[in-house]
Parts: sequence; C-alpha cells; structure tokens
Amino acid sequence: MQAAVIRQASDLRRAQAQAAYLFILPSFALYVVFVLAPVVVTCILSFSYYDPMLGSRWVGFDNYVRFFTDDRSLQIFWNTLRFTLFAVTGNVCVGMLFALALNRQMPAVLLYLFRLAYFLPVIIAAAFVSIVWGYFYGDDLGVINYYLIRLGLSPVHWLTSSRYAMMSIIIMDVWKNAGFFMIIFIAALQGVPKPLLEAAVMDGASYWRRFFRIVLPWISPVVFFAVVYASIGALQVFESIVILTRGGPGDATRSMSIYIVEEAFDSFEIGYAASVAVVMTIVILAITALQFLASRAWVRH
Amino acid sequence: MQTKTSQRWVDWTIIAIMGALGVFMLMPFAWLFSMSFRTVRDAYRMPPSFLPPNLDLANYRAVLDSSIPFLQIYANSVEVAVIVTIGQLVTCTVAAFAFARLDFPGRESLFFVMLVGLMFPAQVTIIPIYLGFAKVGLLNRPIGLALMYLTSSFGVFLVRQFMRSQPKALEEAALMDGAGYFKIFFRISLPQLRPALAGLGIITFTQTWNYYFQARVLLEPQDSMTLPIAMDVLRGYLGSGNLALVMAAMSMSVLPVILLFLLAQKMVIEGVAMSGIKN
Repeated sequence: MQAAVIRQASDLRRAQAQAAYLFILPSFALYVVFVLAPVVVTCILSFSYYDPMLGSRWVGFDNYVRFFTDDRSLQIFWNTLRFTLFAVTGNVCVGMLFALALNRQMPAVLLYLFRLAYFLPVIIAAAFVSIVWGYFYGDDLGVINYYLIRLGLSPVHWLTSSRYAMMSIIIMDVWKNAGFFMIIFIAALQGVPKPLLEAAVMDGASYWRRFFRIVLPWISPVVFFAVVYASIGALQVFESIVILTRGGPGDATRSMSIYIVEEAFDSFEIGYAASVAVVMTIVILAITALQFLASRAWVRH
Repeated sequence: MQTKTSQRWVDWTIIAIMGALGVFMLMPFAWLFSMSFRTVRDAYRMPPSFLPPNLDLANYRAVLDSSIPFLQIYANSVEVAVIVTIGQLVTCTVAAFAFARLDFPGRESLFFVMLVGLMFPAQVTIIPIYLGFAKVGLLNRPIGLALMYLTSSFGVFLVRQFMRSQPKALEEAALMDGAGYFKIFFRISLPQLRPALAGLGIITFTQTWNYYFQARVLLEPQDSMTLPIAMDVLRGYLGSGNLALVMAAMSMSVLPVILLFLLAQKMVIEGVAMSGIKN
C-alpha cells in the first residue's frame, strides 16, 4: 500500500521533470547554439591563428600578448575604459538627479510629460540619434556651432579634434541613456520607507544629508546594479562612435567593438579579434563579480 | 509660513529647470521631424528649425522612389522584429513556467547557466556565428539575425520573476485534479502572465528594431539590411546632396517605436523598472 503511494509519487515526479525539460528545451537549445557554443569557440579561436585555406594553428597566448603590447590596441583599450568610466558616471549621476527631481510633489500631467521626454531617447536606436547628433556637432553647418557663433563664442571642433571628440560622444551617450537609469532610480526611491524620512525631517536633517545618510544607503543595491548594467553596455560601445567619428580622428575614439569588427571582418584576423572579444568579456565578468562581492559585503554591513 | 513659501519656490524652480531640460532632450527629435519637411533647397539653410515649415510629403516620396530599396529594408526590419518578438514570447514563457512552477532535478543550476548568458556581449559570440552562418547560407539574410534572438536569458528571467510573484494555488489545485502540465500552462498560467508578456513583447520589439552591431556584421547587401544600418549608408548616399531626404527616412524608421512607446508608455516604463528592481 505504502509502496504503491511512493511509486505513484515518484511517477508523478518523473512526469513533472519530463514536462519541465520539454518546456525548457527550446530556450536552452537556442541558448547553447547561439550563446554558449559561440563563446567557447571564440575562446578557442583566441588561442589560434585562423586560416580557412591553410588550416588553423595553435599559437598559445600570442594574440593576447599582441593585444597587451601593441600601442594601438592599448590606446583602443584605454579609449574603451575611459569612455566607460565617464559614460557610466554621467549616466548614473544624471539619472539620479532626474529621479530625485521627479520624485517630488508635482501635477500628474507634468510628471507624465517629463517621464516621456526623458525616456524617449532611451528607446530610439543610437544608430538613428547619432546621425542627428552628427549634424548637431558639425563644424561649419553644425547646429550647436551656429548658436555658439550667434552668441559671439568661437565654434568648437566637437568631432574633428581629438581633444573633444570623446567628450562629445560621452555627452550624447548621457543624453541618450540617463533616462533609463532615471526610471530605475524612481522605482527604487519609492521603496524608501516614509517614516524613516519623516523622522529625519523632524530631526532637522537637510535634504542632501537625508539623501546621503538614508536614501542612498537604502537604494544602494539598485545603484550597484545600475553601475554594472551601465558598464556592461558602455564597454560594448559601437554604433554611436562608428556613426559620429568612425573611430577618429586617428584612433582617438576607436573602441574595442570597432576594433573587433575591423580586425575580424576587414583584415580577417579572426584569432586576434577573438582574443580582443575575450578580453572585453573578462572585463565584464570582473566588473560583475566585483559588484556581487561588494553588494554582499555592503548588505552584511 | 516663511519656509512653506520658500519650499514652494524650490518646487517651482525645479519644475522649471526640468521643463527646460525636457525641451533640450526632445530637441534632436524636433529637429529631425522638422528637417524632413524642408525643401531640398532649404535643407542646409540656417537658422535650424524645430517645427516643420510645411507638411509636404515630397521628401518621403523621394526616399521611396530613390535607388535605395527602402521598402525592402523596412520589410526586413519588420520581419526580424516580428519573428524575434513572437519567438521570445513563446520560448521564454514556456521555459519560465518550468523554472517557476515545476520541480525537477537541476532546476537551479540550469537556471544559473541561462542567467550567465546576460553577461556575454554579442562581440564574443559574433565571430563563430558569422563563420557558421557563412557555412549554412544564412549570411546576408535577415532571417539569420532573427534566429540568433529567438530566445533570451533576460526574457526567461523577467517572466519567471513575474510568475513567482503570482500565487500558485490555482496551478497546484489543477495538478491535484490531475490536469496535464500543458493544460495548466495554457489555461491557468498564461492568462495571468498578460502584463509580463506585454512588457516583454514591447521591450523585445524595440530592442530588435534597434540592433546594430550584429546586423552590421551579418547583413551586407543593401536589400538584406535592417533600418539602423541602412541609415548610415543612406547618409552617405543621399546625405551629401540632401539632408532632408535622410531625415525623412529617419522619421519613417523611428515611427513604429515612438508609436509603440506613446501607446504603451506605462508598460514600457514598468517593464524597465521591474527588470531593474528585481536584480
């Protein structure tokens, strides 16, 4: 009797597991084919010299050594890290300021319109808005320079001087992406317990004191997430640079993504390009791991 | 009393600043639409305009009549975005159902393996996919791009999180009554998922409409392109002579996403907020 019940239960469990694997199968198979397997192949390629005619050969760490000793690739690596640092800082800080400004008493219509205006750039492809910004940043026929000249200021070589080009791309990036972080932060701010804030107001704590002492620690997990998410995106920066400067002037704004595409599909240096892609992935994994450890330590605090 | 008035001043100052900034945020879009209506002769005339000078669709017609297969490119974008959106809604939902509602050996580890996928950029998968597609004849075909994104770790994660926030009493009761898993999924779970599916659908459509890196690598001939990569080509092709035509093409390209956003602003924003918070 008992054995029968147990058998029935285990039959049920087996049926459930079978159904579960069936439900997961499409996603998992596609995931293996289009993500996991390619990642593994890229890692293998990164240790080889790939030649479709003569066959590939194993070259050990040569590709990586080349990446980390070549001045040009180091400059490109540095460009990418620099872009990431400034773009992430800009996006998270501006997004937070927007969120704080909108997280107050105001007429619902205004709130709706503000959210619309600030979020709209997020959903339009960088490929589209970069073309518009390309005309805004133009030297002679540029919209911004037109107004600078009208105001009696001297025009700026937004994209054609290696001093300003990266900054111009970062400004556009913050314009485009800050709204995303604003939305995430607004949702987080609404989770801060009201009694806690009211008590602080009673104690006479100023707005910014309350922000740094209560609000920021409370929402810090979301801020950590935002920083990692923004970094993962920024490290892959591609189309805004391709369209605005094509990586120039010189290599001043060339990013790792552009380098990967050029090396892999223009020069057909498949193995080398794969190693650059692996370096990028390792940086992403490192940042994610760091965030994971930091947020754990923070929570224990 | 004093502090109350000063507080009100602060409020209105902030609203005014946010309003001015909001106008600044929208300026590129206003310029884009306004430019698309300028005549060819006026395209580069200064000062720039932020309101359309007329509503003559000549530039739009000129884009469609140009030597660039704009309609074909548009159709490719629609094809890829629709296939990917439907594909993800199906694959992510069924997988999420299993991860959230069923019990089976390896559930946690399989889910973890899928989550790791969130950290792999397209850059680290594109080379083998390019080589593979070249072998099987999927290169330069929009359907190849669509195949790559028929599922997503993000989608599985999003739907699973949503499902776990819903009560599962109904599903358990149905199981007791001996209903099959497919029946439970279609009859009970799926109807509850409507908000999550709408959110995922909108996010996926927008994202797919905007893919650039992958599309640029995989789709080279003009008639296989999607809109974002075609814009850059268009700029070089028509742009030197006519800024207004490029902007007309751009207006048409961003229209579906803007319409979707205006129709479903709340869902888009809630979807984004949800994905941020739950992490």
